[in-house]
Amino acid sequence: MLLTVSNLRVSIGDKTILRGVSLKVRAGEIHAVMGPNGSGKSTLAYALMAHPAYKIIGTILINKKDISHLSTDKRAKAGLFLAFQSPIAVPGVSVMNLLRSAYQELHPAGKTPEKIQNPLLARRWTGGGMTLSNFSLMVKDNAKKLSIDEAFLSRGIHDGFSGGEKKKIEMLQALVLAPRFAIFDEIDTGLDVDALKVVAQGIGLLASRGTGIIIITHYQRIFKYLKPDVVHVLVRGKIVKTGKAQLAKEIEEHGYTNY
Amino acid sequence: MATPIIDDTYRYGFHKPEVYVFKTKRGLDSDVVDQISNHKREPQWMREFRQKSYAVFRQKPLPIWGGDLSTIRFDDIYYYLKPTDKKASSWADLPKDIKDTYDKIGIPEAEKKFLAGVSAQYESEVVYKSIQSMLQKKGVVFLDMDSGLREYPELVKRYFGTIIPPQDNKFAALNSSVWSGGSFVYVPKGVHVDLPLQAYFRINAANMGQFERTLIIADEGSYIHYVEGCSAPIYTTDSLHSAVVEIIVKPRARVRYTTIQNWSTNVYNLVTKRARVEEEGVMEWVDGNLGSKLTMKFPSVYLVGRKARGEVLSIAYAGRNQHQDAGGKAIHIASETTSQIISKSISKSGGRTSYRGLVQVYPGAKNVKSKVVCDALLLDEASRSDTYPTMKIDEQSVQIEHEATVSKIGDEQLFYLTSRGIAKAQAESMIVNGFIEPIVKELPLEYAVEMNRLIQLQMEGSVG
Repeated sequence: MLLTVSNLRVSIGDKTILRGVSLKVRAGEIHAVMGPNGSGKSTLAYALMAHPAYKIIGTILINKKDISHLSTDKRAKAGLFLAFQSPIAVPGVSVMNLLRSAYQELHPAGKTPEKIQNPLLARRWTGGGMTLSNFSLMVKDNAKKLSIDEAFLSRGIHDGFSGGEKKKIEMLQALVLAPRFAIFDEIDTGLDVDALKVVAQGIGLLASRGTGIIIITHYQRIFKYLKPDVVHVLVRGKIVKTGKAQLAKEIEEHGYTNY
Repeated sequence: MATPIIDDTYRYGFHKPEVYVFKTKRGLDSDVVDQISNHKREPQWMREFRQKSYAVFRQKPLPIWGGDLSTIRFDDIYYYLKPTDKKASSWADLPKDIKDTYDKIGIPEAEKKFLAGVSAQYESEVVYKSIQSMLQKKGVVFLDMDSGLREYPELVKRYFGTIIPPQDNKFAALNSSVWSGGSFVYVPKGVHVDLPLQAYFRINAANMGQFERTLIIADEGSYIHYVEGCSAPIYTTDSLHSAVVEIIVKPRARVRYTTIQNWSTNVYNLVTKRARVEEEGVMEWVDGNLGSKLTMKFPSVYLVGRKARGEVLSIAYAGRNQHQDAGGKAIHIASETTSQIISKSISKSGGRTSYRGLVQVYPGAKNVKSKVVCDALLLDEASRSDTYPTMKIDEQSVQIEHEATVSKIGDEQLFYLTSRGIAKAQAESMIVNGFIEPIVKELPLEYAVEMNRLIQLQMEGSVG
């Protein structure tokens, strides 16, 4: 698996934000994209996920498949996942309900479902690889790993959740939905040390299962618990330097002023 | 475009065969009212009641607030039709859209035929009989209103028209003069009916009349849940549905009345529903309005006894060419009474929803609490929602809360859900179902499932 972003230029209205970003992320690799405020970090995350407000020039490939013209849901089906910096609440749509619906879209069973005859079967499980009850157990198991109280699973997603809870629920979705490539947009902000460790472990676990990771962040602190394979420095819409984990530490010490 | 149900029967070449054994002429006059009474062999007091009501109907002007009623052709309507026991029409005659909708909602064949008006005899006869025998053992009366009048004349005479007198409004007067069908329910002291009483278990064509009349009396300390309607589209060629529902909740009794209305979009649905709640009694209206061209319906609770409680939960969905003017009224007459009105409305494809509500506290009613929440969701720029809350408070020691929100399906919510691989139409229906979830969870399971499914179909534009 290979995610290739080539010369990505992104604008919103008349304003150009990314001026040619290129990246190659392999299965299981952890990439950090670090940059000061306003450098275009979140734009990169949104543009990769096809947010309708952004206009894109350039290509995004998963292996050899060009996904740069696909809509958001189709990109998700192609294997992309975005953990949001400040995810929006969807009242009345429970975490479990969202995960069930999303999993069935992203990991469908081979067969097409029969015509619905009974309303009670209208929500028949069409997820692949496991039964619905095993799926629920898998969700609960992952929630436990992230120290998420099971009660959250039946609540409206992000509805009244604290900052830390939101980040953990984003992490949970990544683990359950097992995407090919996951982008974490400032997953580390607003987390206390314990939650940060838990989330970092979650990302490590996801990478070990083969998901390619892009961590977008301002700070180096998450890398105390998680070693990135590649670090990119994004400034004014361009990647100005790429290096190993050591680069994150240098930025922590010297800031972005050198770039 | 989601046209929920057929709005032009002729266009589909569907014609309901006339297999009525008796019907009055088109239009309404004093003779027609008499004919109805004669045909039903009613007691003198009911004849007089009908005639008085007719006079009130004649004299009252059409309401000038709410929806547009000017297009109702009162002279074109048959006010009384007595259908034959079995209808001869066939399933094959139904328009494909209606059949498809039934398939998509997934209702059983027998029920489909009944809903479509093809079969007057719903095949749950056996279920109905066993329920009837259970009810009889407990002394519960559950009859159609005509039978109720014949078998329990004293009880009916004592309460009929006392909660909603004909003078109340023009359509209550119309119903009072030409009513037919509906239910009569009496629950004796202390009796709890655990199973929801579903109007469609007591099936005959009279039940689905245009002008049905329902009277429920819950005696002291009793409990009943009455369910009427169906979330599947009710196909009718009648253009006016005007029901009256009167409920008496005696001390410490509790009544829940659930309605799911999904009339075809040619129907004016103008219904008066009111409950009188005595000391420590509880009345709960759960009211879902999906279909019709115009619905005007404001279930009311008159809290006349100390510590009485009333609740109205209302969902309204308005699609193209639809106007749902719905809400609730809580009238606090006694002290320490409490009420809650929660209204959720959804407008799509140019549909219009209005919340119209009243909270009134009479002088002398102390320590009253009331809460009103009305939330509107607009699915596109062409749709519309209005709020008309009225408060009449003649007392100091009251605690009233009112919250109102209007929101649009947010682009960010859609982006979030689609980023999880969910297609846009499904994401919209998830957001809408999430929005009404607090009320849907109060519905009996099969209704809740159908309601969610129906909303999903509307969102996907695959109905009609």
